[in-house]
Amino acid sequence: MAATRYRAPAQGGLRIAALDDLVAIYHRASGITHLAVAPVPELMEAMAGEWRTLDALADAFGLAADERGALIERLEELVATGLVEAA
Amino acid sequence: MRHVFSVRIGPASFRVGSDWRAPVDQLRALYAGYPAPEGGIADYTVRLSATRPWRRFVRPSVAIAGDYMLPDAAPLPLAHGLLAAEMAMNLQLALGERRFLLLHAATVERDGRAIVLTGESGAGKSTLAALLSARGWRLMGDEFALLDPETGLLHAFPRLVSLKNAAIDVVRAALPDARFGPLMAGTPKGDIRHLVPGEAALAAMDQLARPVRLVFPRYGFTPDARPVGAGEAFVRLTQASTNYVALGEQGFDALTRFVRAVPAIAIDYPDAASAIAAIEAEA
Amino acid sequence: MGEMSDETDHDGEPREARTTRRRALMLGAAGAAAVVSIRPALAQTAGSVLTCEIPVPDPGRAGGYIDANGNVVPAGTKNAFAPPLRPLKGEDVRRAMATGGNLPGMDYERSRAYLKYVGRLQRGTTGFTCFASLQMLRK
Repeated sequence: MAATRYRAPAQGGLRIAALDDLVAIYHRASGITHLAVAPVPELMEAMAGEWRTLDALADAFGLAADERGALIERLEELVATGLVEAA
Repeated sequence: MRHVFSVRIGPASFRVGSDWRAPVDQLRALYAGYPAPEGGIADYTVRLSATRPWRRFVRPSVAIAGDYMLPDAAPLPLAHGLLAAEMAMNLQLALGERRFLLLHAATVERDGRAIVLTGESGAGKSTLAALLSARGWRLMGDEFALLDPETGLLHAFPRLVSLKNAAIDVVRAALPDARFGPLMAGTPKGDIRHLVPGEAALAAMDQLARPVRLVFPRYGFTPDARPVGAGEAFVRLTQASTNYVALGEQGFDALTRFVRAVPAIAIDYPDAASAIAAIEAEA
Repeated sequence: MGEMSDETDHDGEPREARTTRRRALMLGAAGAAAVVSIRPALAQTAGSVLTCEIPVPDPGRAGGYIDANGNVVPAGTKNAFAPPLRPLKGEDVRRAMATGGNLPGMDYERSRAYLKYVGRLQRGTTGFTCFASLQMLRK
């Protein structure tokens, strides 16, 4: 079974505005606005327009094995909101 | 028989048609001095009609209709026909406006700078705006702030100010020379009386203002004031806007720009005097 | 956490930056939400919204199956679910999303797949307006 891969919209698929410690994200394709805290934009940038496996993302952020749980949680959350695709 | 009244209020104009004469007469009297729609064409249409043909005469019951509708709106008795008309006008703007981002807020202006008071029903926005207008502030509106996405400026929309219950007497005492509409007792929102915006508000109706403060007033608490961050202000304003979603990306730009440029403060107050003092301290 | 003495840098990036990013990613771990979708309020739309429907999938992709991630895949794809016979009712979707329960008459896996499909609807696709209206009511 192939590993799950994740993809965020490519450049231009999102509008992002930093507001104090929160970031407002406008998802163009759905017209829905989301509010996120700091790690989310970096995470989405790491997947912008490219399919990435969990391993690749964990490496990109230098995560140890026991930290992958938090990453998975963030990814699932993003998929649930429609900001990130999973396949 | 159709009775018709048309009026322009700031950048929006309305044509109100009614099966009964009374609400139209009341509107015409209260909005005396306001201009007619530009070119004679109204942006929004409101119809006040009888729920059934015989209900024009028997226990007359006013159903609201217009281009923009919400289902299941309950009709009102003819005695509250003026309220029905004002509610219907609000609805047309709330659902139909696309030129401006709408925020449920009262706005007052001085020297080209505007303070925006936003909050839920009962927070005291209309009352505070009316009281501030007695202290040299120009009333731009008590129900909707109209934010221009292109410029970030506010357009005035000075409708009849809707005052409820105890606020009616408070405002009458502060503005003894002002004109008021009829007292409508026992409406779904309590006792209501409308305050007619004064000469100053009418004369300056087409003057824009730059928003400089966003205030979240809360009535019935011990006095307190605390700054509100841009993120929190943004979320609260999406809840206070009737057309944020409809405006799409333009709405996103207008609102993010607004919260980044306009400092926000939450003010808790036990009485009007305390609120007025706190708000004027922000000016 | 934070011990990186044995790791080499990637692309010459300073170690501190990577440590900071690791820590940032850990913030809000264990159950805290990092993303909130704006659900704007619109007074009194309850009546019209709750009678709206969402076809799964949209008519343009009729006959397609729904995989566990909510994607539309060719009919018969292994581990994917056949589409529901009738469009999903707005009220059912709203309740399922709000309470975490299943859509009526469906088991957890199938319900979840359909709900994921709905969550990924985009502007212009049939059913999106209904879904967007639900968002306004979920709170």
